[in-house]
Amino acid sequence: MSTADRSTRIGAGRVLVAVYGVFALAATARSLVQLLTKAGEAPVAYGLSALAAVVYVAATLGLAEVGPEPRRLAWAAVGFELVGVLTVGTLTVLDPELFPDATVWSAYGAGYGWLPLVLPVAGIAWLLHTRHRT
Amino acid sequence: MTSREDPSERIGAVDGPLPLALIAASLAFAVVVLVYVALARTPDWGLLGFAGALEAGALVLLVIAAVQVGGVELGGRAVTLFGYLLAALVVLPIGFVWSLAERSRGATAVLAVVGLTEAFLVVRALQIWPS
Repeated sequence: MSTADRSTRIGAGRVLVAVYGVFALAATARSLVQLLTKAGEAPVAYGLSALAAVVYVAATLGLAEVGPEPRRLAWAAVGFELVGVLTVGTLTVLDPELFPDATVWSAYGAGYGWLPLVLPVAGIAWLLHTRHRT
Repeated sequence: MTSREDPSERIGAVDGPLPLALIAASLAFAVVVLVYVALARTPDWGLLGFAGALEAGALVLLVIAAVQVGGVELGGRAVTLFGYLLAALVVLPIGFVWSLAERSRGATAVLAVVGLTEAFLVVRALQIWPS
């Protein structure tokens, strides 16, 4: 990691971390309830919810600069998140039967005010913005 | 039995005026914070007091729900309900710690996210509670 990179958790980054934190908390809690109470009903959707929860937690920690390689963690998380929301969004729009129970990424996150689609874009933009400049 | 309608009992009910007031106050808090951000003002004791009142409301709501939960049919959604109510209790302190660690517009704007989240959590809790 370049030491010339600017911090991702100050200024506007603080808001981004807060929003990611809310999603991490919400996705983790929802996933735990789903897996503990009705795991057999829609294993694919619930497994996907759990995966999304892990990604949001990773993005939150990375952007908040927790851990040894936070910028790398943040890049991996927001990158995965963008691919995830685009893939799952497209699949659910083309074939609504594929996931019988909604996930956070279904229909590009329309059920969550499109924030699941906006967040990775904002995350990538912020990581580029705070990258060191020569 | 939910068919019995006694106005004096409904004041302190989960489906009474308290959660609605809490939702309105949380949204108002978010608006006030955005005004602070626009004016580049840092959080002051007034804002902290406002948040303290919201926190007290969330605590009262949690206690009321815990007292009344035995009298309603929730099925398996009791876990979700108390998840939302507990989240409504912790989101304010955590948000404040995260916000007050820095003095910047971004840090102040974190409190707007906190207010919107608080309102959302109470809305979801209300949706679960059978009316």
